[in-house]
Amino acid sequence: MAGSIEEIKKAKKLYLVIGGFLFLGTILTVAVASVEALDFGAHGFDKWDAIIGFSIAGVKASLVMLIFMHLNHERPLIYFFYILGLVMAFFCMWLIGWSKSDPIQFGNETYSDGFYDLSKPATDVHGHGVEEE
Amino acid sequence: MEIPFIVNARKDTGLFNSKVGIWLFLASEVTLFGGLFSGYLFLRLYADYPWPERALPVLPGLINTFVLIGSSVTVVFAWAALKMREWRKFQIYMAITLACAGLFMVLKGIEYNAKFGHQAVRIQGGGPVQDNAIVEGHLHYAKLVDGEMVEVTKEEKEEMSDEDKEDVFTANKILVKASEFTFVLTRPSHEAYVKALLEQAGESKITLAEKYSVIDVEELNAGEMNRDQLTNSKAALVAGKGEELSIDLLDKLEDAYLDARSHDRKIRTQFLAASWDWVRNEKGEEEASTYIVEKDIWKERRSEDAEKLKVLTLRAPSEVTFKVDPPFTLVLDPSDLVKKVNVGDKDAKLRDDTLVSGEVLPSPMIMGVDALDFRTTALRAEAEGLDPLPVIEGTWLLTHKGHHDDHAEGEDDRNEFKKIWECHLEWLRARAEYLDEKSDRKGLEGADRLVPTDNDRYRVNWDQILAYQGLGYDLKKVYDESKAGTLKRTGLFDINGFAGANHKTPDTDNPDLHFPHLEIPRANVGFESSFTPKWNTYYAIYFTITGLHGLHVIGGALVLGYYLFFGRKMYESNPEWLANRVEVGGLFWHFVDLVWIFLFPILYLM
Repeated sequence: MAGSIEEIKKAKKLYLVIGGFLFLGTILTVAVASVEALDFGAHGFDKWDAIIGFSIAGVKASLVMLIFMHLNHERPLIYFFYILGLVMAFFCMWLIGWSKSDPIQFGNETYSDGFYDLSKPATDVHGHGVEEE
Repeated sequence: MEIPFIVNARKDTGLFNSKVGIWLFLASEVTLFGGLFSGYLFLRLYADYPWPERALPVLPGLINTFVLIGSSVTVVFAWAALKMREWRKFQIYMAITLACAGLFMVLKGIEYNAKFGHQAVRIQGGGPVQDNAIVEGHLHYAKLVDGEMVEVTKEEKEEMSDEDKEDVFTANKILVKASEFTFVLTRPSHEAYVKALLEQAGESKITLAEKYSVIDVEELNAGEMNRDQLTNSKAALVAGKGEELSIDLLDKLEDAYLDARSHDRKIRTQFLAASWDWVRNEKGEEEASTYIVEKDIWKERRSEDAEKLKVLTLRAPSEVTFKVDPPFTLVLDPSDLVKKVNVGDKDAKLRDDTLVSGEVLPSPMIMGVDALDFRTTALRAEAEGLDPLPVIEGTWLLTHKGHHDDHAEGEDDRNEFKKIWECHLEWLRARAEYLDEKSDRKGLEGADRLVPTDNDRYRVNWDQILAYQGLGYDLKKVYDESKAGTLKRTGLFDINGFAGANHKTPDTDNPDLHFPHLEIPRANVGFESSFTPKWNTYYAIYFTITGLHGLHVIGGALVLGYYLFFGRKMYESNPEWLANRVEVGGLFWHFVDLVWIFLFPILYLM
């Protein structure tokens, strides 16, 4: 890390600039979510809003990690720890996505909005009818 | 002993030790929050109800984002100041960081507080989808007048003396005209309820309905009296008829009952052991172990035992009834009751299994409504293959006769919610037309064309309610203003809506505006809650993640505060060590900021 006074002085300017970028990024996130003209994709929240929102958040997070947390020049051991944590976190999220594609259906068929089809009798996992209490 | 590698790097890692430590810790934190974000994802993808998109007021979250980003900059500046041996500057930057942490928690507190005081209820009605209309708002107040519930307005409450205020309750209570209480003695946890009952009883006397007696063991064993005599003997009396209810009395009854029960249990065990020995003697060790095959012999013996036990056990009554004279109105919280009750029910069971007999009185929920949400109604209607609009128009909320709506014949007999809904449909019409024009302008075709969202269609927000009301529920005006884009709705930066609908003054510019009054009969009150984890999984995960994040803010601030207030000595003896410590504390602080960078859009904007 920046050892000499000169380097730190230079780094301080960078911190301010990054701080400014983070502020701008936040304003942009809110603008994309609330200003009608910046509503991409379908009207209201949809996958494009999610993609844009997460992209901005991702850029902001990267700036914090690279500059504030000095990950732009760090020892290999730190990257190892950090990536390990990240892999675990993404593994959790991947599991959720994976469960969504699970072919086994519990109970009733569901509508795309997640509601059970009330018109059909309830069934168990094997498709047999079940008594409702 | 000197601690190694606090300032200089270890050769193999190239790092000072605490930095390795904090990064290991941060890696575990990444997995922890990763798991929680996965939890959020799971709840949202599998939600079986309309997910509350953008349900939180954005402004507090936005300010908090700025606050955390700002503190991230100042904490790294504080570290740089230490590196450059500028103690004064370090103090200033660190103090700003701590102030930011404080401000963050204060805003969080305001936000939480608004949620705890905000009520939601799913209305239960008839019709093809049992209504399922959701209303949100703030509970009004009420008090008892001659044993009946009477509403108290906010103004009336404010003018009351402190003593009178104590009798006022939020208008979400169950009123029971209590004439009898039956306590279950196996549940030694009546104290809180008994206290509340006695406090509310006032002039009424709560007395033991029948004497409570437990047969005296010595008299029983003497074998000189029959069961009736035993029960009526002086030694058996625990409490006489007419004794007044008190915690001490209940304790005494409970002790007597439990003693009798353990006596009985001992005797029963003795008999069981004796019977088992008998079977073994009769059938031999080996065969006895398969006694189940020889059920009859065992059954016969056990029924003989039962006859003897009838004589030898005390069998104290496990319930005790108290009479109330004269009956009084008991005010109960819905959560005090084991299950839902309806007006006219003859009894209600408390959570300690105490049965309150009498009659459930009309106990409506009274509130000032600041949002109508028909999204669940619409989804259920669509699931049934029905057109949502007529179903919504047939809901209790839009068809009931309002509290203040005493109309002469032939006059407008719509309740206020119907008026709001009709205005909303006009707003929606203007909205759909606007989106149509926009689609035309962009040349969008087919499925790409812009249409109102379910949120637009079926949810009427508090700022919309006030806007429609401000126009006197005039449909033409609502349509025209919506079309022209001049309908006055509260924007992002309106301080009135800082933490959501403000029930005190809906609009400071126009004091005539009010949140519509709604009185929901108890039978129509479905699931109800304030905006806490109980209400839905969105608030469950919201409070879990933001609560844990808030604890991180507090923890981080404590550590950084320690460096600020107790770091001077270390700074003078080993400034580089302190700089390294601040760097490590700062890394944690940046991580807290990092989590919020994702939390803010996820919880507030998506």
